[in-house]
Amino acid sequence: MTTAKRLGLATMALISLGASAAYYATMMAMQGQRPHGGLNFLVLGLVTCLTALVLLVFWRSVHRSVRMIASQLESMARSKQLGLVMVQGSDELAQITRPLNEFLTATKMQVEQLRSENRELQIQSRIAAAEKHHTEAIIFSISDAVIVTNRFDELILANEAAEKLLGFRLAGSLRKNIDRILSDGTLVRLIRETRSHGRNFTRKVVEHSIDQKGTPKTFSVTLSCVVTDNEEVSGVVAVLHDVTREKEIAKMKTDFVSNVSHELKTPLASIKAYIEMLQDGEADDEQTQREFYDIISSETDRLHRLIENILNISRIESGVVKVVKEPTSLTGVVKQVLDVARPQAKNKSQHLVERLAPIYYQIEADHDMIYQAVMNLVSNAIKYTPENGSVTVSVTVDERRGVVVCDVADTGAGIPAEDLPRIFDKFYRVRNNNKLAKGTGLGLTLVKHIVETVHDGKLTVTSEQDKGSTFSFELPLLA
Amino acid sequence: MSKRILVADDEAHILHVVSMKLRNAGYEVFTAVDGEEAVELAAAELPDLIITDYQMPIMTGLEALKELRRNEQTRGVPAIMLTARGFDIEPAEMAEAGIAAVLAKPFSPREVLEKVAELTQTAETPLAG
Repeated sequence: MTTAKRLGLATMALISLGASAAYYATMMAMQGQRPHGGLNFLVLGLVTCLTALVLLVFWRSVHRSVRMIASQLESMARSKQLGLVMVQGSDELAQITRPLNEFLTATKMQVEQLRSENRELQIQSRIAAAEKHHTEAIIFSISDAVIVTNRFDELILANEAAEKLLGFRLAGSLRKNIDRILSDGTLVRLIRETRSHGRNFTRKVVEHSIDQKGTPKTFSVTLSCVVTDNEEVSGVVAVLHDVTREKEIAKMKTDFVSNVSHELKTPLASIKAYIEMLQDGEADDEQTQREFYDIISSETDRLHRLIENILNISRIESGVVKVVKEPTSLTGVVKQVLDVARPQAKNKSQHLVERLAPIYYQIEADHDMIYQAVMNLVSNAIKYTPENGSVTVSVTVDERRGVVVCDVADTGAGIPAEDLPRIFDKFYRVRNNNKLAKGTGLGLTLVKHIVETVHDGKLTVTSEQDKGSTFSFELPLLA
Repeated sequence: MSKRILVADDEAHILHVVSMKLRNAGYEVFTAVDGEEAVELAAAELPDLIITDYQMPIMTGLEALKELRRNEQTRGVPAIMLTARGFDIEPAEMAEAGIAAVLAKPFSPREVLEKVAELTQTAETPLAG
C-alpha cells in the first residue's frame, strides 16, 4: 500500500473518530447534560496522540526510504561508480527509483562507452606521439637536409642538416611560409611547384647548386608529395643530398683516364714514328739506325714503367695489393737504393751524401715498397739537381717520438710554392721542371701511397725555388 | 727556295723525328720545346708553316697559335696540331688559332709530311736533299 493511501486511511479514521466525538458531545449537549469535562479532555488527548502517532509512523517510513536513497547516491558519488538505487517496499519513493534507475543504467552505459572511447583515443594519441618521435628521430638522424611543408607551404618539420645548410632555426620557423624562411628562391619554387602539381606528381629529383660558406656545392634535391588517404596533397618533403664529392670523383676519374691515355700515347707516338722512319729508310747510316733502335727501346721501357706505376697505384688505392710487412732496417733499404743510384749521381758529377742511423733500428715494413719509395725520392733528387749539385740522404731516429725519419734533400730546381700542394696528385708535373727531366707524374703519388696508405707514415715536403727541395717521411719505430 | 717549317714539341724524340722527316724531304726546320719559344721563334723566323704539339709547358700549342694570330706578320701562317689528348678541338677555336689540320698521336711521320706538302703547296715543289 502506498504512503498516500495509508495517509488517506489514517486521516479518514481520525476524521471519523473526531466526528464521533463531536456527535457524542452534541447529543450530550442536547440532552442537557454537560459533557463530562474529563472525558472531553480524554477524547481530545486521544485524537491528538493518535494524529501524532500516525504522523510519526509516516515520517519514519519516508525518512528511512529517503535516507536509503541518499546513502546509495552518496556512495555512488564517493566511488564515482553509477549503480542502481534500491528501496524497500513499493511506495512512491520506490516508484520514483524505477525511472531513476533506468536513467542511471542508461547513463552508466553511456559513461562506460565514453570511457572506453576515451581509452582508445588515449592509446591512439600515444601511438601517434610515439610515431611522431620515430619520424623526428629518423629525420633528425639523416645527414641529408630534410624539409617538410604542409599544404599551405608552411614549414612543419626540418632537420639540423637543413637548418645548417639553409640558415634558419626550426624553433622560430615552424608554421611560417617557406618564402619567409628560405632565401633560396629556387628551392621555394621547387617546393611550391611540387605541391601545386598535386598527386599526379609523386617524386622528382633535381640538381641544384647552393653556395655554402662561399663554395658552390651541388645538391640532388628529391621532392615528393605527401598524399592523404583521400588522395589530397597534404604537403611536400624535400631531401637535399650533397653530390659535390661524387661529382668531383666523377671528374677525377674522367681526368685520370684522359691523363693516362695522354701519358701512354706519348711514348707510343715515338715508338710508332721511329719504326715508320726505319721502315721508310729515312735512317740511312748505321749510327742513325742504332740511335732509332735505342729510342724505340727506351720508349718501350718508359711505357712499361708507366703501366707498372699506374697498376701499382690503382692496386694500393683499391687495397688489393699484397703487402708483406716484416721487421726491416730503413738504413739498410736506403743503402741498397744508394748503391743503385750512385752511378747516376756520378754521371752528373753530383755529391751523394749519406747520414745514416745505425742499421739495427727497425721498422715494420714491406721491403720492396719502401725500397721503391726511397728510390723514387732519390732518383727525383738526382734528376732535378744540376751537375755538381748535391743530394743528401739521411736516416735519423727520434726515440722520444718513436719514429724513424728519412730525409732526401737536394740543391736542385726546387718547386714553386703554387705547385707544392699538388705535386702528390696523379700525373701532376711542375711545368717549369718539365724540361729538366722526363717523368710520368706518378712517382710522388706512389711514394705518398706507400708511406701513408700502406705504412701509416707521413710524407712531407719543403722547397725553395732554385735552392732545392727536401722530401721527408717518417715511419713508426719497431719497439 | 725550300719552305721553312717551325716544329714545337716538349718531347725531344718527337721533335727529332718530325724534324728529320721534314729535313730529309728538303724542308728547312726550326724547333722549339715550349709554347713561349715557339711564339718567339715564329716571330723571328716567319716560317711558312707551324707544327705544334697541344700540351706543352709554359704555354700550350693552342695558346701559342692564338698569340701568333695577334701578330700582324705571323697571322696568316697555317698550322698543324699534334695531340695525344682524346678530345677534338672546337671548329671555332681551330679557325681562331689558324689550325689547318689536327693529327692525333701516335701519328705517322709520312702523314705529317703529306699534310705539310699539301699546306705549303705552291707552283714549285720543295727541293730534295
